[in-house]
Amino acid sequence: MSAPESPTVQLSARHLTRHFVTRTPGKLRNDKRVVRAVDDVSLDLVKGHVTAVVGESGSGKSVLARMLARIVKPTSGELILEGTTIPSRAKRTLDYAAKVQLVLQDPYASTNPVHRVRHSLERPLAIHGAARGNIDALAKAALTRVSLEPPERFLDRYPHELSGGQLQRVSIARALCVQPNVLLADEPISMLDVSVRLGILNLLRGLCDDEHLAVLYITHDIASARYLADEIVVMYAGQIVERSHGTALVDEPTHPYTQLLIASVPDPSDPTSAATRGESPPIFEVAPVGCRFAPRCPHAMEICRTTDPPNFQVGDGHVSHCWLHADKPEAVVEVALPERRREGDTTKR
Amino acid sequence: MRTLRLPRSPKVLLGLGILTFFIIMTVIGPWLAPYNPSATDFLPNTGPSAHHWLGTTSLGQDIFSQLLVGARATMVVALLAGLVATALSMTIGVAAGYLGGYTDDGLSLLSNVFLAIPGLPLLIVIDSYLPVNSRSNAFVIGLVISLTGWAWGARVLRAQTMSLRNRDFVEAARIIGEKRWRIMLSEIAPNLLPVLASSLLFTVLYAIGAYVTLAYIGLTSTSVWNWGTILYWAQSNNAPLSNEWYWFVPPGICIALVGTGLALVNFGIDEFINPRLRAAGLTSKQRRSLGLPRRVRLGFTPVLRSARPGVVAPTNAQAASQ
Amino acid sequence: MTDPLHVRDEREARDSAATNTVDRPTSSEFVLEVRDFSVDYGVGSSMVRAVSDVSLNLRRSSVLGVAGESGSGKSTLVYAMTRLLRAPGVISAGNVMLNVTDDHGNALAPVDLVRANEKELRAVRWSHVSIVLQSALSALNPVLRIGKEFDEVLKTHRPEMNKTQRRERAETLLTMVGLDATRLDRYPHELSGGQRQRIMIALALALDPELVIMDEPTTALDVVTQREIINQLYELRTRFGFAMIFITHDLSLLVELADEIVVMYAGQIVERASALELYEAPRHPYTLGLLNSFPPLHGARRELTGIPGSPPDLADLPAGCNFASRCPYVMERCHQEEPRLTALEEGGRSVSCWLQVSGASASVPVELARTPRVKRAHPTSEEAVS
Repeated sequence: MSAPESPTVQLSARHLTRHFVTRTPGKLRNDKRVVRAVDDVSLDLVKGHVTAVVGESGSGKSVLARMLARIVKPTSGELILEGTTIPSRAKRTLDYAAKVQLVLQDPYASTNPVHRVRHSLERPLAIHGAARGNIDALAKAALTRVSLEPPERFLDRYPHELSGGQLQRVSIARALCVQPNVLLADEPISMLDVSVRLGILNLLRGLCDDEHLAVLYITHDIASARYLADEIVVMYAGQIVERSHGTALVDEPTHPYTQLLIASVPDPSDPTSAATRGESPPIFEVAPVGCRFAPRCPHAMEICRTTDPPNFQVGDGHVSHCWLHADKPEAVVEVALPERRREGDTTKR
Repeated sequence: MRTLRLPRSPKVLLGLGILTFFIIMTVIGPWLAPYNPSATDFLPNTGPSAHHWLGTTSLGQDIFSQLLVGARATMVVALLAGLVATALSMTIGVAAGYLGGYTDDGLSLLSNVFLAIPGLPLLIVIDSYLPVNSRSNAFVIGLVISLTGWAWGARVLRAQTMSLRNRDFVEAARIIGEKRWRIMLSEIAPNLLPVLASSLLFTVLYAIGAYVTLAYIGLTSTSVWNWGTILYWAQSNNAPLSNEWYWFVPPGICIALVGTGLALVNFGIDEFINPRLRAAGLTSKQRRSLGLPRRVRLGFTPVLRSARPGVVAPTNAQAASQ
Repeated sequence: MTDPLHVRDEREARDSAATNTVDRPTSSEFVLEVRDFSVDYGVGSSMVRAVSDVSLNLRRSSVLGVAGESGSGKSTLVYAMTRLLRAPGVISAGNVMLNVTDDHGNALAPVDLVRANEKELRAVRWSHVSIVLQSALSALNPVLRIGKEFDEVLKTHRPEMNKTQRRERAETLLTMVGLDATRLDRYPHELSGGQRQRIMIALALALDPELVIMDEPTTALDVVTQREIINQLYELRTRFGFAMIFITHDLSLLVELADEIVVMYAGQIVERASALELYEAPRHPYTLGLLNSFPPLHGARRELTGIPGSPPDLADLPAGCNFASRCPYVMERCHQEEPRLTALEEGGRSVSCWLQVSGASASVPVELARTPRVKRAHPTSEEAVS
């Protein structure tokens, strides 16, 4: 890569919050409960960067992706697309769909079994105003972009005739058809075979490096986040608990939850890998008192149970939402604008 | 679409055969009819003979000709009513299931009302308000029948749509910016085809029943021949009491056969959507020669005979037959 | 029955009984012996061979890991072995000997699961061989409380127990898998995925089986939950000494959990070795590729490639080695002759690859050589930049 230009933020989220109201059926009066799926999350997606969001199921990471794609409306907070603020209650426009695209987790479920691959690619082209005569050529170009070559071989196939990896590439091609600036990928590899996962990750990296897309990579696999991302964000129970540029967060985790996540990854080279016994992440219905991780945290202190910690600056571009680091200065900027920092740019290209 | 191939199941083939027979009868029946069905030229109340295969009515009309001519009206009305009712139930069911909210509440209420009102009395009420000359019009009758027959299909399709709308491919279509009506039409509807086909078969069946009933109780024009009017005349001339079976049994058999045919073809739709049913398409002879049990049982994977050289009698078959 | 350690006592008693009795038939050292086992989908012209000529032995109280991509036949193999495979699956060759003991530790006559009739199968299932499926949600009946599931199983297989005893046993089992006994009164949908999977494990252990089969029990779970369940399983296995077959696509998980690992590809075993040996010195290119498919948690970041291409169509297998088209070390011979699973000189491992056959025309690439590869790849900076 050439020397980085000044980072261009394509899409920012500010204080995004989403509450779901659930009703307990079966009772005479419906019990209304508010579930805080995502709570005050701010995030910047930068041109040519991969931002990874790591979290368990129930951490709110998928809801976050859907809010960024604006197919789920936030309860509060705002999105800023290329400098323009979008009110949280506004309707999703075709224009927005043309800039921000989302790739879903399960490629088998996200392609319609009754339609050929061609349909998946030609519909977005037609919706977003490609000239009728160009559609076929553009669809083929999209397949080439995701390395499904020769494209003629794939255009007239049905989803069940393709493997999971190929189908996920079709899903990515469908998103690319509208020429977005921001690509959101919600666990794009978790349903795929191990052997093809790296191919998809490398494809995302390539789109980011060569075509300067801003990529959001949502995952529960912290090792793949480390492999791919320029910035890593760890979410727990709807909140960001730790974030860092580069791999600092994985190499020197400062938040006990991040430490737990890393210790849980099967790692044959590390015989000491162990886990804290704990409950699954709690779902907070009312604003919790204190730190959300406190009930599971091995280092929980008195203050953790009473006061939610602020974000502490534990390193350069490395922020931890934990009282253990109270000696460090509080992070001043709500979202530090990530600089293009990749240790010697070792990943590729 | 999946490639269409002739189903192997004898049930379905039989059903298709029966339906093909009656469809041919619908098309060419009136031309094949040896006599004018309304002509009262013959000796009344004769039993089946070489001249009158199914005998004559007490007015001296040829029953065989009535049966052939009547097939057309019966089948056309049934098909028309079936198609219109299925189209109605699809529109209402898919819209209610996909759009949700107040639209769903309203449309569900509507279909529940139509489900709760007994179909036949409603039909009779509507029909009796029709101008007399339109009672002989197959299209009007077909539309009226379809109005009472769509509600059940709408409910089934609504439920199916509700499970489809949460599927990822629908969400994917929303993400690329697809319009709502287009999602319903081009993403959801094709996935409903098996249900639609099945629903069509049963509405056709319902429509035959309803039309024949209307005609039988004399609410359609008695001068238009269909299987119901034959029954109407047979009843009003006391045919069952005077043992003139050849007057009322043949139309009855025809109605029953069409119904059976439709039901049998429906098995084929099951086989078509459920690949597991399709895979078991071995003849019993092939199964025996391979040492496979007659039917596949859950939790008991069959073993090919070749894999069990020491076993004389196939233990599977024994276990299966016990 | 109130003692949570009851099962262990019984097991210990059984073991000592086993050593004291002289005239009992000697029980085999293997709990399961599979010979030349083949499984087809369909018969006749539409037949596809999903598992072909698999042989393996499972030592008592040991953990066998079965790894492979989807479509490699790993699940088919295990389901067919227990005769649980659904239509159109058909067993076309081989036998599966199950050597189990009765409640007093006396070896029972070996049962060939392939030849067994329904009654014989019913006698060994659950009591001696139990299975945990990937999707715990669909395996539990949504309208039954958890306690009822336990009650049904115990009522059927332990008719001598009364209601209180069954309840106590169920509570014991739940405590064993790290759940609160009050969960017995819950419905499946009220529990999280991890809790349901624990319930499934407790159910599988309810009758104190000698062999437990786990089909990707943690694939649908989060890493933290997966870690907890794996630790739990490890502990339970040490405590009760059941043998385990663990199917997963996650090779690094297997390396931690299993004693021995078989790697499957296109319906065949391509490599078999002890877990550590397989991790440190894989001898089949496919195993190496699988191991390299996981981005590491440590060391410099560098581009990994995984395994190019996709698994072959089982209905249309190529001549020669099935892996040839994806193999980076492919030779002339690989396209012509199919390699057989052959034992290597050292330590009871075997591999199905022409590279490892003595007198191979090409030299064995360093990654697949006998010497262990570097334990943790710490590439130098020069390597990383390239």
